[in-house]
Amino acid sequence: MIWLTWRQFRAQAVTAIAALAAFAVLLAVTGPHLASLYGASGITGCHGGSCGQLASNFLSQLGTGIYPVVYVLGIAGIVLAPAVIGIFWGAPLIAREFEAGTFRLAWTQSVTRTRWLAVKLTLAGLVAMAVTEALSLIQSWWGAPIGQAARLATTSSFPLGMSPFSPLDFAAHGIVPLGYAAFAFTLGVTAGVLLRRAIPAMAITLAVFAAIQVAMPLGIRPHLFPPKNATAAISSFTSLPTQIGPDGTFAFSVDYLPSQPGAWILSSGAVNAAGQPVGTSPAACKSGALAGSPAWTPCLASHGIRIAVSYQPTRRYWPLQWTETAIYLVLALVLAGYCFRRLGRRVS
Amino acid sequence: MTAVLEAHGLGKRYRRLWALADCTLSIPAGHVVGLVGPNGAGKTTLLSLATGLLAPTTGTIEVLGGPPPASPAQLARVGFVAQDAPVYAGLPVTDHLRLGAHLNPGWDAELARDRIERLDLDPGQKAGKLSGGQRAQLALTLAIAKRPELLLLDEPVASLDPLARREFLQDLMESVAEQELSVVLSSHLVADLERVCDYLIVLVGSRVRVAGPVEELLATHHLLSGPRRDPDTLPAGQQVISASHTDRQSTLLVRTSDPVLDPAWTVSEVGLEDLVLAYMSQAAGRGRRNHHLEVQK
Repeated sequence: MIWLTWRQFRAQAVTAIAALAAFAVLLAVTGPHLASLYGASGITGCHGGSCGQLASNFLSQLGTGIYPVVYVLGIAGIVLAPAVIGIFWGAPLIAREFEAGTFRLAWTQSVTRTRWLAVKLTLAGLVAMAVTEALSLIQSWWGAPIGQAARLATTSSFPLGMSPFSPLDFAAHGIVPLGYAAFAFTLGVTAGVLLRRAIPAMAITLAVFAAIQVAMPLGIRPHLFPPKNATAAISSFTSLPTQIGPDGTFAFSVDYLPSQPGAWILSSGAVNAAGQPVGTSPAACKSGALAGSPAWTPCLASHGIRIAVSYQPTRRYWPLQWTETAIYLVLALVLAGYCFRRLGRRVS
Repeated sequence: MTAVLEAHGLGKRYRRLWALADCTLSIPAGHVVGLVGPNGAGKTTLLSLATGLLAPTTGTIEVLGGPPPASPAQLARVGFVAQDAPVYAGLPVTDHLRLGAHLNPGWDAELARDRIERLDLDPGQKAGKLSGGQRAQLALTLAIAKRPELLLLDEPVASLDPLARREFLQDLMESVAEQELSVVLSSHLVADLERVCDYLIVLVGSRVRVAGPVEELLATHHLLSGPRRDPDTLPAGQQVISASHTDRQSTLLVRTSDPVLDPAWTVSEVGLEDLVLAYMSQAAGRGRRNHHLEVQK
């Protein structure tokens, strides 16, 4: 059974591994130079305030070369790989057997259907996970200097990678790619088992997987652990993105918390001394000339207004990675279990 | 002789349509059995139930003394060629043989190789590029080389031209003689089966109409012609299968194990094809009680 599965899957696996190898060569060729630029930038061993500037210099130096392109390419590849695997490996895996009628040939050899499916799912599923995770690992290795610098930089013209919690960065690194690959693959297989037609199964796989991948960072990941809340003085923020509306209304949104560098900011806003959200300037700070002027924020601060932030601290990066991976793996197992039941019972 | 296939009250329903209903059947071992019936009679359903590709809605079916196809051991004992002889279009002939070798513990590699050689199939040829006849031969090779005790063939010659048809059946008969297989093959054409079968099952409208050894069927069915007469006035023991009348003459096909003694009748032998057609039109005459459904899922 392993032989047949490999024989049928060989072309796809070889294509994937060839693409992976080509990308690895690209990274291996550019990696050493990137590392030497990083070494020369002086970021290693920098102290205090100088680090930010050095990191910014390093990034703007890279901004003109091939590196941003490779970086974005790598992230895109890792994020898209599970979808591609689900569509082109998962969906046709069983659906094609139904379409061609070859399941009648396969299921009447001296191998039970359960074993047939188990070997197919395991072999192709493991290759899917390995390819995706390998892509993620080599990209992480290559991009480590960029990630490091992006975390320190005060300003950055670099396209991605400002925070390891940003949706694309989080999805492309760590161990979540494993979970995505396993889930997308079994999702495709399940769609194929249900619809028995490869093309509709591919379409459904894409639609469902895309919807889940959008819902995860926006709606689910922020709440996997209860967010922490903190307030900080207005004066502690060096930059304070502000929207000012008519009649003294305003809104703040910050993307960092000075006391928790690197934390994942989920939401932010102004609160008064009692901790209630406020959206309107106190009467004393309301005069037309004051709004938006340098004296305005001290005026708000003097009336007890602070910035409230809800966030996930940096140390939760790995717990979030593990939890999310576990969720996807469990979903994959549930779908696989459904495929076994469906093929075992209602057939032909 | 034990039964290779035994069914009691076997039925299969797709949503609201019965593809096979109330099928009770016992096929003894050592025969080449023709399963004949019009399109949609339930032949494919019956064979799919026998291979375990389908699970019955009602009743029971046993193949070689056990329910199909719980275990690898049971699967190994039954060879099956599905309708249109599905093979992997992208794999060459030799990989199909390797597939058979890997998936069947009882695989007879020599037999498979010899057959491919004898049939003049190019081992490197992709199966998708084979002609219909070659594909059917490849599928049959896979089914035979696993050394089954029972071989089930679903419309094996339906898509073949007359020459390929004859070659396929001839080759099948040689293999059967060599290996002492029991075979069940289905067809909607009696002519295909006439040459090779020694046992016949007529399945019409999802029900078994008649089943038995061909010789016995031919010996107990007679074509009677004579002056016009009401079929109800025949002696007991003569079962009318079909009747046609002109103004002055009646022609009846009757089934009886006793000789026909009435001198008014001219008694003649009946051919297998006429016999089957009589059962088919008898079933049609009783009205289409059962929906016909060709299983192509």
